[in-house]
Amino acid sequence: MAMLEVERLRKSFGGLTATNDVGFHVDQGEIVSIIGPNGAGKSTVFNLITGVYRPDAGDVRFEGTSIVGKSTNQVVDLGIARTFQNLRLFTNLTVLENVLISQHHRLRSNWLSAVFRTPSYRRQERAMREVATEKLGFFGPRLQSFRLHQPVYVLSYANRRRTEMARAMATGAKLLLLDEPSAGMNPKETSEITQIIRRMRDEGGYTIVVVEHKMNLVGEISDRVIVLDYGQKIAEGAYRDVVNDPKVIEAYLGKKAGDDKREELADG
Amino acid sequence: MTLLRSTRTPTWRRFLPLLVILGLVALVVWRMLYLGSVGERFNAGFFLRAFIDSVKLGSLYALIALGYTMVYGIIRLINFAHGEVFMVGAFTTYFLFTITPYALPAAIVMAIILTFGLMRVVELFRGSMRDPIVLGVGAIGVVVLTVALSAFTWPFWAAIVGSMLATGVLGLSIDRVAYVPLRSAPRNSLLITSIAVSFFLQNVGLLAFTNRQTPFRPDTPLTTPLAFEVGGAPVLTNWLLVAIPVVTLVLVIALTSFVTRTRLGKAMRASAQDAEVAQMMGVSVNKVIATTFLLGSMLAAAGGAMWGLNFGSLNQPAIMGILPGIKAFAAAVIGGIGSLPGAVIGAMIIGFSENFLTALFPRTPTFLGITEFKDTFAFVLLILVLLIRPSGIVGEDLSEKV
Amino acid sequence: MARIVTPTAFDAIDPKKRVRNVALTFLAVGVGVLVLYLLEGIGSTKLVQALALLAIWGVATVSLNLINGTLGILSLGHHGFMLIGGYTTGLLMLDEAARQRILTSARSTMTEETLALSVSNLLRGFGLEALTTPETLWVRFLIAIFLGGLLAAFAGLLVGTPSLRLRGDYLAIVTFGFGEIIRLTASTRLFSAYTNGALGFPGVTSEFGKSIWWTFGALAFTVFVISKLKYSSYGRAMQAIREDEIAAQAMGVNVAYHKVLGFVISAFFAGVAGGLWVSWLGGVRLDFFLFQLTFFFLVAISAGGTGSITGVLLGTAVVVFVRQYGDPLEESYSIQTWLYIASATLALAAAGAVLFRTLRRLRPRLHWGSWVLVGGAAAAALVAAVDPAVIEGTFRGFGMRAIFLSVLLIVIMVFRPDGMLGRTEFSWSWFLREQRTGPTDEERTQDAWLSNPAFGSEAGRAAAREQELAEDDTDAPEGSDDEGRR
Repeated sequence: MAMLEVERLRKSFGGLTATNDVGFHVDQGEIVSIIGPNGAGKSTVFNLITGVYRPDAGDVRFEGTSIVGKSTNQVVDLGIARTFQNLRLFTNLTVLENVLISQHHRLRSNWLSAVFRTPSYRRQERAMREVATEKLGFFGPRLQSFRLHQPVYVLSYANRRRTEMARAMATGAKLLLLDEPSAGMNPKETSEITQIIRRMRDEGGYTIVVVEHKMNLVGEISDRVIVLDYGQKIAEGAYRDVVNDPKVIEAYLGKKAGDDKREELADG
Repeated sequence: MTLLRSTRTPTWRRFLPLLVILGLVALVVWRMLYLGSVGERFNAGFFLRAFIDSVKLGSLYALIALGYTMVYGIIRLINFAHGEVFMVGAFTTYFLFTITPYALPAAIVMAIILTFGLMRVVELFRGSMRDPIVLGVGAIGVVVLTVALSAFTWPFWAAIVGSMLATGVLGLSIDRVAYVPLRSAPRNSLLITSIAVSFFLQNVGLLAFTNRQTPFRPDTPLTTPLAFEVGGAPVLTNWLLVAIPVVTLVLVIALTSFVTRTRLGKAMRASAQDAEVAQMMGVSVNKVIATTFLLGSMLAAAGGAMWGLNFGSLNQPAIMGILPGIKAFAAAVIGGIGSLPGAVIGAMIIGFSENFLTALFPRTPTFLGITEFKDTFAFVLLILVLLIRPSGIVGEDLSEKV
Repeated sequence: MARIVTPTAFDAIDPKKRVRNVALTFLAVGVGVLVLYLLEGIGSTKLVQALALLAIWGVATVSLNLINGTLGILSLGHHGFMLIGGYTTGLLMLDEAARQRILTSARSTMTEETLALSVSNLLRGFGLEALTTPETLWVRFLIAIFLGGLLAAFAGLLVGTPSLRLRGDYLAIVTFGFGEIIRLTASTRLFSAYTNGALGFPGVTSEFGKSIWWTFGALAFTVFVISKLKYSSYGRAMQAIREDEIAAQAMGVNVAYHKVLGFVISAFFAGVAGGLWVSWLGGVRLDFFLFQLTFFFLVAISAGGTGSITGVLLGTAVVVFVRQYGDPLEESYSIQTWLYIASATLALAAAGAVLFRTLRRLRPRLHWGSWVLVGGAAAAALVAAVDPAVIEGTFRGFGMRAIFLSVLLIVIMVFRPDGMLGRTEFSWSWFLREQRTGPTDEERTQDAWLSNPAFGSEAGRAAAREQELAEDDTDAPEGSDDEGRR
């Protein structure tokens, strides 16, 4: 059974339909990319899945149960975590604290035992630290040691992206929604992120949905690609097939240019 | 994550203000008929008095609310100190018509300070302190003001104009000293600073003006009594019944045409939409904000002067500005903060509810009346509006952003 | 860049240092107790009262800072919570003589039933006669304070709930509105049977509010709970809400619960502070709980630094000092003296401005504003010196302390919005200058190596070998984070 099923999802803002009857599924252990031109409704799909917006129609099922109408933090409890297109880290807190906060919802002590530091609270706190170190370890030693205690605002842009991914992983989610994980990164860092996303699936056991603009990254990691345009799904399938789909090329490049550019895009 | 704004307004929302007002009117009429059938006291004259008071009070709140709404529209600051600016305006008027002429040295000092402010005001339009017109205004201003302050007893109208000017300059200075350095700071810091400014002005008022209630009885024909009968019931009032709404109307019209017609006014509206973009388009946002404070404070000063006239006395400086300020802010929120007509409508709603609530639920043998909850009511209304409909009843489409 | 590494409660401290820190803490507490004991013995009554007030207001500011600093919500209704705690404690602890006086007074609006509300009667109801003796007054006081705190916490629940719908300045106004509503309704006939209207009632025991030990005990308890909370997982979640509410929710933090929790805990301690404050004053009256109180707390918090509990206490000390020892400011002096004072203040301000601009390397060093200040100072001095005859008479500086505090707040907001301590929290390693202020050389080299090759990829490593030291993405300090962007 599919892990995440999205069915005929529709959302409009006033007169503008952001997503129109979008439907797809994600299987356990898959990496699925959602691509599309700007304003195609990619981020809206993420917002609809995570409960930031409530869909006008349609259904989202995670492991068989509908999650429509649940609030964002309840969705995280169920096991879906996300990153943001334009970084939303807790800038004045340290890297470690950022990654610890995303585990807070799994804490099983009330605030009084936290105040009095009961043994069970201490144990959980230690476990949380271990998880944090482990997740940050995905990115090599660069986010460990002294950097654990650095506030996020001194980090470089790439390190902030990494911290945000570690933070999403630490929520304990099974499904990660990564919104443009390589935005603002140079080619070197992008290729590194590509590796990391692979390893997140292979070693971490996460199922991953990626919204991306960089075609080479999409091509390298995706098991399946979903193309959105004007809020509608226009193609789905393996990367090779999708980029050669005339509808996709038309969406990206317009009708006329499509024929000339087809080959280029396929190589890109 | 950008939330896409709705481009169309649902129909019910366009009629909402109308519905709210109609509903309120229906309630009032029903209660009036009920009271009229119960007691002799509650005749047409009783309610006409409440109506007159409502219009007057609503106009006064409108003058204060415009300052709140303009400042919030442009820098998103709830200017806590605005109520105190209103208080300073009232007391400045008082001191201008009671204890002029001043001794020459005091007059010179005051003239210099006022002229400097005047030059700043003209500079907003001319662009440079070294501009010949600004310098000319400075030179003439010093002489004229010195003579005016040291030789004449000021008539009431001149005191209002002088007070508007002085208070406007105060608004400019508050902006320059306390708010300009915080332009890029978090909004909470700005709010805390405005609270500090408000406390500063309260206590300086206590120190410099007086610490007790002050009678405010200028020599003006506006306060001559005016008596007429309605349906057999006598109504005793005075010409302020006409004067306050008319002055308010004139000032509001002047402000609206300033905002829509002049270059600076258009820049204000542009900055209210998006200050950053406006700045990139060549609008000097600091100048626009200064103008906003100037105009808002001038209106508040006019309101303060007429407030004193209406009630015949000024409360002590530490508390005079607080409640009118809060009520005017509530009015601005009710009308949809950032909107000029909204502020006036909101002020009228507050003025009417305040007077009619106490008139409609008066003290009767079986019921103690709700007068003591009058001030609480303003806060309750403010909280309810903020919780239920923070964009105000006028909403976005009817409102004209400053 | 001052400090790159901020202290957290989770810094890996080696066990030896932990033992040392605990020992040092005990030592410091011992010294503190000794100092308090000595001060109580040799200090004047005024000093002891000031210290007690410091502790009472400390409870209030530290609890207010849980909302304002940790949760990042500007709350302006603290005086309302304190009022609830204060009136509750006051009514429950009113002594018998005072009750009789109020009952027989013609102006009183309290009834026999409300006057019968007391901890003694409550305990009698439970059959605990032993706890109603004069010797066990402290037990009754503790119960009264606790009940006051609970009622205030309930009010906190009511005020905290709107915080789920609103943000920022609108929320601040709503908390302000709630605070004022509490104060305004307390005197109306709805509650005058309990509050005695605007009159209030004297006769609350001041044995505890003026005792250093009780007040500092309450302060220690408050600081313990709030700091442990702040540096626990719950506190981190609250700080996350302060930093970015949407992201916090997206990371699973139940924003609604934590906001309301913050309000409830803060209101509880505000209620406790209110009870102690009433005991310090020896009675209850409406004007003990004006918005001014919250304003003083705001000054204390902002002056000390919203990010740090130590800073908040420091700020409270400043405010209490001004309140208790600033009365010379409000006395009556000749106008000549006032002019000299004004002149000196203006001159100092001008000097401060020049110093500030020099330190910040702002040009021109002598801003025209400084000239205006100097001119004003000269004019005031001139008038005072040359013509004393014109300015005969005295002038009372009524309200000078409040003016001083509001100017202080404006100056802090303009020049040092983070307050005196900013986010620096007191800790022994900070105190002993053991804090690391950046990476060691070893870590630097490691970091430089790491950022060169594209991590983990063979192709990247090959590419990196070619341009060995050409690039690095070593973390840049604040302000240059745009470098990595395209």
